[in-house]
Amino acid sequence: MTFDWMKIPYALLTLIIVVNYGLLLTALVQKIAARAGRRHGIPIWQNYIDLVKNYALRTSISHGVMYYLGPVFRLTGGVGLLLFVPSLYGSEMFSNLSFAGDLILALYFVFFGTLGMALGAGESGHPYSAIGVSRGLSQVTAAELPLALAVFSVALQYQTLSVTDIVAAQQGGITNWTLFTNPLAVTAAMFSFLGSMMRPPFDVVLAPQEIPIGPPTEYHSSYLALMQTNRALFPVAKMVIYMNLFFGGATSWPIFFLKIFLIYMVSALVGVVFPRFRVEQSIRWFLVWAVPVGVLAILVV
Amino acid sequence: MVSPLHILVVGLGAAFFVGLLNHDARRTAFAITLAALAAMTLIAGSWAWAFLFGGATPFTILTAGAPPPFAINLGVAAPEAVLVALVCAVGLLSALTMRDALERFGHRAMAVFLVAVMALVGIILTRDVFNLFVFFELIAIATGGLVLISDDERAVAAGFKYLVASQVVSIAMLIGIIFVYHATASLNLDDMNGGSIGPVDSGPALAFFLLFIALVIELKPFPINGWALDVYQSAHPGFSALFSAGSSTAALWAVDKVIGIGGAPWLPMAAAIGLVTFVGSNLVALSQTDDRRLLGYSSVAQIGLVLTVIGLRDLIGERHLAVGGGILVTHAVAKAGLFWLSGLVASRDLAGWAVLRHRPILIFAFATFVAMLAGLPPFPGFYAKWELVHALAADGRLAFVAAILLGALFEAVYLFRWFGRAIKAPLPEENAAASRITGAVVVATALAGWAIGWTWGAASPYGNVMAATPLLVALAFPLLEWLPARVKNTLAILVLCLGFWVGYPHFDPLQMIFGAIILIGGAVIFIASFTFAQGRRIGFYPSAMLMYAGLTMLIVAPDTFSFFAAWEVLTVGSYFLILRGKESEPHALSYVVFSLGGAFAILAGFALAAQTTAPFALAALKQVAADHAPWVFLLLAVGFMTKTASLGLHIWLPGAHAEAETDVSPMVSGVLLKAGLFGLFMLVMHMGRQSLHGVELTYVMLWIGAGSALIGNVMAAFQEDAKRLLAYSSIGQMGYAVFGIALMNNLGWLMALMFVINHYIYKSSLFLSIGGVAKRTGTREMYRMGGLIKLMPLSFVAVLVSIIAMSGVPPLSGFGGRWIFYNAILDTDARLPMVVIFLSGPIAFLYLFRLIHTIFLGQLKDEHRRVSEAPVWLLVPQMMYVVFLLGFALFPGLALRRVDAFIGGFMPERGLDWEGTTITSAFGHWNPIAIMVVVGVIFVTLFLWLLFLEHRAQMVKQFNIAFAAERPHRPETTHFAWNFFAPYRRAVGVLAEPVFERFWGATTGALHDVAGFVRRLYTGDGQVYALQVVAFVVIVQLIAMGMRP
Repeated sequence: MTFDWMKIPYALLTLIIVVNYGLLLTALVQKIAARAGRRHGIPIWQNYIDLVKNYALRTSISHGVMYYLGPVFRLTGGVGLLLFVPSLYGSEMFSNLSFAGDLILALYFVFFGTLGMALGAGESGHPYSAIGVSRGLSQVTAAELPLALAVFSVALQYQTLSVTDIVAAQQGGITNWTLFTNPLAVTAAMFSFLGSMMRPPFDVVLAPQEIPIGPPTEYHSSYLALMQTNRALFPVAKMVIYMNLFFGGATSWPIFFLKIFLIYMVSALVGVVFPRFRVEQSIRWFLVWAVPVGVLAILVV
Repeated sequence: MVSPLHILVVGLGAAFFVGLLNHDARRTAFAITLAALAAMTLIAGSWAWAFLFGGATPFTILTAGAPPPFAINLGVAAPEAVLVALVCAVGLLSALTMRDALERFGHRAMAVFLVAVMALVGIILTRDVFNLFVFFELIAIATGGLVLISDDERAVAAGFKYLVASQVVSIAMLIGIIFVYHATASLNLDDMNGGSIGPVDSGPALAFFLLFIALVIELKPFPINGWALDVYQSAHPGFSALFSAGSSTAALWAVDKVIGIGGAPWLPMAAAIGLVTFVGSNLVALSQTDDRRLLGYSSVAQIGLVLTVIGLRDLIGERHLAVGGGILVTHAVAKAGLFWLSGLVASRDLAGWAVLRHRPILIFAFATFVAMLAGLPPFPGFYAKWELVHALAADGRLAFVAAILLGALFEAVYLFRWFGRAIKAPLPEENAAASRITGAVVVATALAGWAIGWTWGAASPYGNVMAATPLLVALAFPLLEWLPARVKNTLAILVLCLGFWVGYPHFDPLQMIFGAIILIGGAVIFIASFTFAQGRRIGFYPSAMLMYAGLTMLIVAPDTFSFFAAWEVLTVGSYFLILRGKESEPHALSYVVFSLGGAFAILAGFALAAQTTAPFALAALKQVAADHAPWVFLLLAVGFMTKTASLGLHIWLPGAHAEAETDVSPMVSGVLLKAGLFGLFMLVMHMGRQSLHGVELTYVMLWIGAGSALIGNVMAAFQEDAKRLLAYSSIGQMGYAVFGIALMNNLGWLMALMFVINHYIYKSSLFLSIGGVAKRTGTREMYRMGGLIKLMPLSFVAVLVSIIAMSGVPPLSGFGGRWIFYNAILDTDARLPMVVIFLSGPIAFLYLFRLIHTIFLGQLKDEHRRVSEAPVWLLVPQMMYVVFLLGFALFPGLALRRVDAFIGGFMPERGLDWEGTTITSAFGHWNPIAIMVVVGVIFVTLFLWLLFLEHRAQMVKQFNIAFAAERPHRPETTHFAWNFFAPYRRAVGVLAEPVFERFWGATTGALHDVAGFVRRLYTGDGQVYALQVVAFVVIVQLIAMGMRP
């Protein structure tokens, strides 16, 4: 197999674009949510300030090898997820490294960073980290299910697991989007999406009020900076999959930005309206409301 | 050669002579007794040899020089010669074990003993009905007397009850004989044979009925056998051995001779009584706690089974002697051996047999006898069971098959419970009365059992199980027990590698995968065994090699017989292995009961499939008649799924795998479970899809697989014990594999094979890592551990790599399994079971994270601060597995490519495209090397960057964390570990309800209750017993009349 070395700078370009977009986007959404709560909210560049500050900080503390590697796992997970999926449809330049695998690769790679970070947090020995991981894992087992069903439904619908092929099948007008051709699958997937965005009512994992910040409790300085970078990057990388599978993908960066923003707003909107669930409540909610929709989606497709 | 008549002459003459001796000449009397018995055995043995191997022809002995009916004639043919030899040998050996008792009671007791043996020989040889009666009377009187040679106070009462009951029987027999003589004008069996009795409702028939039923009652049928059981319980074990092995054998032969007079109409009655006895007696034995009474029940049951075979002689045809003989010989050898063995045990409690552990050779003998009675290969009972079930299935008598197998299962339950208790009960003080002679007799009997097994196998039309090379190799290991464990371990590794090297050129790709896991994989696990190879490690290597021999025989088996034999061999080997764990007694029992239950389902399935064809090639399963095929499929699938611990049949696994020794757990998890999968592969490859009443069975299997995956994973998440967690995880993983097989498409099978390989690697590795941790910390409770990463870094790395692989996260090999899985399910229409599989997928993250977190991360406990890394021999295989996992992650094609092509031969649709480094399906693609490189490059880049930023970071002390505004100081209260997924339990705890445990618990409880209820028939009152005998005669007659048209 011949490898086109130009893919590397192109991939880095994608990375830079998405990181910056992610930093701005998360700040913007946070601001919108604050305004909905009649607060002023953070400045739009707050994430840059945080990042610069944290990357600049030096520490002499490590709790061990896994602790040290935790943020590396985390960010590798985010970067990998972004690069295993083509960002723009029809663009060789931004097809990234999708030759390595298809949709299934992306779906399973989601867990790479999460697990690595959880292991790192675990080595810190902080009970809040462990509690946060316990909550997060419990919730994700139920929250991932509707997405898995939706993806299966979409794969059945288009008879392919290739992201590019799925986007291709949705071209030629908004009515060709999966959103309209397979609304059940999209509904199930969006339910799952709510559960994975760490916003209310499913944010008990980080639980900003009661527990410092869940799993990353003991992380600081550039460890935290790596994780914050991921926090900007990872949601976008995940939403790229949603966009590609359900909302027709994007053929240019402006459309990309718009669609990602709108998808993000779904969880922001729900988040400002609903209060927080306990973990067992959210598990039951997913099993009772979201999973049946997913089951229907694979039965009627 | 000496005429067989001299057996009787020597016995009777010696009895008279001994009777005339002085009361004080005990030693002389005993010497004469022994000499007489030895002479009788020698004569009988020479004739048995002549008939079996020397080509002797049957002949008749005219006792008074005149032909019958003017004198009594004796018939001698192969069966008679063998049975007489058996009886005489048992008599001789029993006398040896009874030496002290016989000498104490003096010459008269010896004379009675000789008369008893002589009378047994007479029963077997005589062709005269009245002579038969005389010999039975002799037996009755001799028994009543010999029971008294016992230390047990109850013996007197038992002897009396026996006399009362046997006189009732004698009266019936005598009346019967008188009227049969009236009807046939002859007392000679040869004159009467051939249906001279007339129609069944005639007067002569009633006479014959009395004779027949009296003989049947001599066999102590269930449930009117309290008088005989009391004898078993209270007599000297040496006499009980003769009573069990000799008396019953002779009486059975008498029934077989006499039933010819009545002819075919009487066969069903014999079969029915035999079957009721077999099932009922074994059922009642379930709740027995006295060893000798237990043996009594077991004797009665075995004799009942032979009576069933006699009753089925029109069906089984000329082979009925081989079938009945197989059961009878096995029973006689094993039961005599066990009774003698009980003479070495002071306590009458089953746990008292633990005393045998002082002499491992006796445990070997005990195991041999248990295996013989349970009908396991390579003993004659196994061949007999196989033939019997096949004959019945071919004739469509499925209720018979079910009843026989059920009874056999009951028997296995109490035998293995007994054996397990003997192995696991606290070791008592050395038994002071341990007799060397009895010990030697027992060992000789056990060896004779093996010799008979070989001979029987050599004569069997199905081929000799013992002649299979893997089994021979395994059987050589008991002979090497004197070697140091290190030598044996090295030898075991070499033997397995050699086995693979020899088998390699002959394996097809499927066999190659399984063969590599069994032989190479087994050898790798044996490396870990060096850790425990101190001293001689008695019993470990024979058991392990037996299991590997069974597994090897399984994958190369060409026909159903060798497949089934291999299945039983691997089951019994793994049972002994599992039993070695400290707390594993109940779990090993549960394992062997489920396994044997499964094996019986397989046996029934094979029998149904084969009909009259023998041997039946596995490939011929394709051609099973359409009306049988679904049932065959169902039975076989159930059998195989007991081994894969599929939902409903899984409750044996967690305990068995968790309580096993550290190096045994990977053997029984990583390797043994694959036997079930191999069976399922064999099944679906040959039989394809089958529908029963419109329900597609593979579709049901899909649900079972999915359910197993879900329940296994959920249960694993809720375990506190690390090894139990791994065990439940195996249930889940096997669920995936069963699901893959049941998908019935190319990729589904490929996925199942991917799981076969992966599960072997990571589960073996995890069991070794966790075993090492448990060895060092002294606990398996995860919440008692914590923070071990710094002390056991290599174990941590092995666990880390294994759990990443198992979770299916790229870039390790588990992802390949998941990727194939998604592609496989896109090819099928069965969508609902997918939902369950999808649900169970992420749950794996729960238990995997918990496993690594609560053990290696979090807070180190004070008592573990000095813990060192696991022993090096445990680490070596773990590191090999890490390399395997990485290698298999990069180059799955090395193992799967050829299999994919092989599977393609069974499937219409295409498999995968293995072009270059990319693997392509009809739906998507996957490039393992690219994934590894991309992930590696990103990871290393980020790591270097962090190193650049934080190169000065130093390790801080354990409690250097900010926690609720104070510094914690106690690891126990800071390590968040116990009930780790409490919220999850609150949400889906209903899935962890022990529904199946309750079901099986209720089933066994009900069986024990029934057994306890039936035992009320055994009142211990001699009059009641006599009345029961009379009532039995009447009831059988009434039922027989009612059944006639």
